[in-house]
Amino acid sequence: MKDHDAQPGSRVTGLRERQAELVEALTSGAPVPYGFDGRRVAAARVALLRKRAGEVARPWPMLAAAHGPRWTAEFARWAARRPTQGALRDGWDLARDLESRSELPAAAGAELAIREAGWRYDGRSAPRIRRAPAIRSAAGCVAIQIAGWVRVVRSVRRP
Amino acid sequence: MTAHEYGVGIGWRPEIAGFVAGLPGLRFTEVVAESVPPHGDLPSGLAELRDRGVAVVPHGVRLSLGGADPVEPARVRHLAEVAARLDAPLVSEHIAFVRAAGVEAGHLLPLPRSREAVDAVVANVRRTQDALDVPIALEPIAALFDWPDDELDEGAFLTEILDRTGALLLLDVANVYANACNRGSDPSALFDRVPLDRIAYVHVAGGSEHDGLYHDTHTDPVPRRVLDLLAELCARHRPPAVMLERDGDYPPAADLRDELDAIAKASGYPAVS
Repeated sequence: MKDHDAQPGSRVTGLRERQAELVEALTSGAPVPYGFDGRRVAAARVALLRKRAGEVARPWPMLAAAHGPRWTAEFARWAARRPTQGALRDGWDLARDLESRSELPAAAGAELAIREAGWRYDGRSAPRIRRAPAIRSAAGCVAIQIAGWVRVVRSVRRP
Repeated sequence: MTAHEYGVGIGWRPEIAGFVAGLPGLRFTEVVAESVPPHGDLPSGLAELRDRGVAVVPHGVRLSLGGADPVEPARVRHLAEVAARLDAPLVSEHIAFVRAAGVEAGHLLPLPRSREAVDAVVANVRRTQDALDVPIALEPIAALFDWPDDELDEGAFLTEILDRTGALLLLDVANVYANACNRGSDPSALFDRVPLDRIAYVHVAGGSEHDGLYHDTHTDPVPRRVLDLLAELCARHRPPAVMLERDGDYPPAADLRDELDAIAKASGYPAVS
């Protein structure tokens, strides 16, 4: 390292701490660690978000498709300070966020309602299959699940 | 994988499983290890490839061999189980870290080229080797940035890791190209600095340039200059196997076939398409 005194602020030295600092900068909007090329780390952060958007679109094709060409940018905005929990949960968290603000596109409603009816997801750990019957709705779509069979029974336009 | 030649292959992905299964001359493929369950049904089409004698190499992406912490035993066990299920001649992973302090980066991140990092990788590779019945090949990654305090150049860093672990090398010529582009150095210079006879196989992939940086995307066509670099590598020491990695935005089958043919031509191996 050079110019140790050129920049204020704490500077960790162990590999473990320095790796943690870098991951935080890339996934949570924390400052770029001392000595790194800020422009390049920012480019890596953007590439990472673009890659995540593509990965989330696989388990959540309707969520992605409903956003059309804005998908990558929308997802990146939402995910910029949220480290990944895996593509399934990332898409689920985003869909719930949008639904809570009544902004989930109607075309993505059935996808979320079907997942909510079939799986129990506490927002903190891996989703688990529901044993009991459930009815869940999202963006005007209602899904019913009985003994593992899920059916969308009502699909209406959001008022 | 070093004992005999496998020629040209392609990374198996569910989206192109039909295309891969339809390649008449295919003798090896690679599958993302984490996408293969340890029990139950194999992904559709994979067992058929294995049963027809195509070598299937599990390629790990989540071990975090370069992490400061020890590799998670469950992840190592999974890799070993998948290798056994697939009758794999070897497995591969990256010289990189993917998480720290419990936070997933979502991507392969570069290590500082320091003694401390070499020690961390070597310890984790040894832990992994202890659980494996087959050799492991290590892949140097493409990175958009370097750490500020590298003590070793890339050749010395890689060679020391390979020497101390006895691991094989998975050389990705697109990564070599990307790093050289982004550092402003000569891509083929690395060929003088790493043991080419330790290469188990080679990756070839596409990428694109944004704002003056070359991104190794795996979703773009393979640039001519990457194929030229492959040809130069093969002229010096031809590795036993060379494969195309494509991870999304899949083009029509004819385009994939053309890329495989171009790889065959650059390496001098017979076309598999």
